[in-house]
Amino acid sequence: MTAEENTSEWQGGDEAFVPVATESSSGAALDLLRIVRINEEIKRVVSVAFKINIMALNAIFLAKRAGNAALGFGVLSNELRVFSKDLREGMMALTRQIHDLVAEVSVILQESRYDRVFAEAARAAPDHAQLQTVLERREARHGERADRIASLRRGLRLAIDDAARLVELGGVLAKSAKIEAAYGAGFASSLGQVSGEFDGIVEEIRSSLDSLRRSGFFGGSA
Amino acid sequence: MKTTQTIFEDGGHKWTAIVRDPAKPEFLIDTNEYLVQHGGQGLLLDPGGSEIFPAVFSALSSEFDPSKIAGIFASHQDPDIVSSLALWLEFNPQMKCHVSWLWGSFIPHFGGKGDTFVPLPDEGAVIPLAGLQLQAVPAHYLHSSGNLHLYDRQARILFSGDVGAALLPAEKQGLFVEDFSSHIRFAEGFHRRWMGSNEAKRQWCERVSHLEIDMLCPQHGAIYQGADVQRFINWFDELHVGVLRS
Repeated sequence: MTAEENTSEWQGGDEAFVPVATESSSGAALDLLRIVRINEEIKRVVSVAFKINIMALNAIFLAKRAGNAALGFGVLSNELRVFSKDLREGMMALTRQIHDLVAEVSVILQESRYDRVFAEAARAAPDHAQLQTVLERREARHGERADRIASLRRGLRLAIDDAARLVELGGVLAKSAKIEAAYGAGFASSLGQVSGEFDGIVEEIRSSLDSLRRSGFFGGSA
Repeated sequence: MKTTQTIFEDGGHKWTAIVRDPAKPEFLIDTNEYLVQHGGQGLLLDPGGSEIFPAVFSALSSEFDPSKIAGIFASHQDPDIVSSLALWLEFNPQMKCHVSWLWGSFIPHFGGKGDTFVPLPDEGAVIPLAGLQLQAVPAHYLHSSGNLHLYDRQARILFSGDVGAALLPAEKQGLFVEDFSSHIRFAEGFHRRWMGSNEAKRQWCERVSHLEIDMLCPQHGAIYQGADVQRFINWFDELHVGVLRS
């Protein structure tokens, strides 16, 4: 979103500055809706990541019972626990960024109402010098706020990309666990089932992150 | 657009009523705003809701520099009283908002920072305006639990917030009460329903009876002047309030 889209615009050369109705309010409302959806998806990922943690803990116990034949599986299960923790921490950082974005976008929604009121005042008292000064000051603030939102938007996108890279590592771990399960002798079947579940859950997280990256909030179509 | 009418003037000491906007949407209650000027500074009384800001601003700025508004007096916390606060602060961020201490942490939801607010104690306080001593007069529970009126001893004017308010029909839009007995019918239902305490009402009537008042200026409806001021106080004193129906 640019500063122009965000708030109001200049009208004609030497004429007084008059903010006119723009799509700022509906644009901010749509952004807020998209942010809410992103947040819901993040909550889903956090919940699934916690599930991996519990599953990995059970897998470690299973590997212990399997003994030497499942040593590699045990190591991978432990790595999956670390992955789960890292992913949850990453998601919590995303939640904080979401909070900052909601705060900024909410201000835009409130300010767009005041913009409408000031626009009406400018029509009722045209060429009022102090009102023009106020409008220009507000316009500058809108520009600063738009810059902050753009920066937060970029930060959020980068954090989601980081999380996606982490999930690639989780995918590799899950697939390696599948291979290690095959060496589990009498426990191969149980270990294979657990590693299959790991793989499925990592896929689920990958799919969530892909949908986040396609969000309209980042210019995508979702 | 609203119009301004000077209701008192003595040199640089002036009261301006900002009233009656024919273009106001029906769904918004009509309000009166008042500007007290003294020594080149202004105090805006119950500046109104944000929706009517354009009408109030354009009327006020036609005769007064809005950046010279040193403060706002809010009789209480309602949105039609002071939800425009953030908009006025754009013209003078140092502007103070004088309001009952009770609402000091509520009204900032409309705008302003910690140092914007001057909390008024329950017993009232003097509000200085360029050498003029204005007196905040307690009117708690009439109707708000933290409610104050503003008395100007020099001008002999009492700004009475919602006390004295009348919901006038379209054909009765005069600024001053002309016929008390016909006017008061439009005030009765409002006072019975909105004023919550007979005891508080009794105390207020007693308190303001000791003041010399030429004009009693409510936030809605018409201004009482001359003998109508005492007529109103007597009428209010006898009215049973805090009831759903008369």
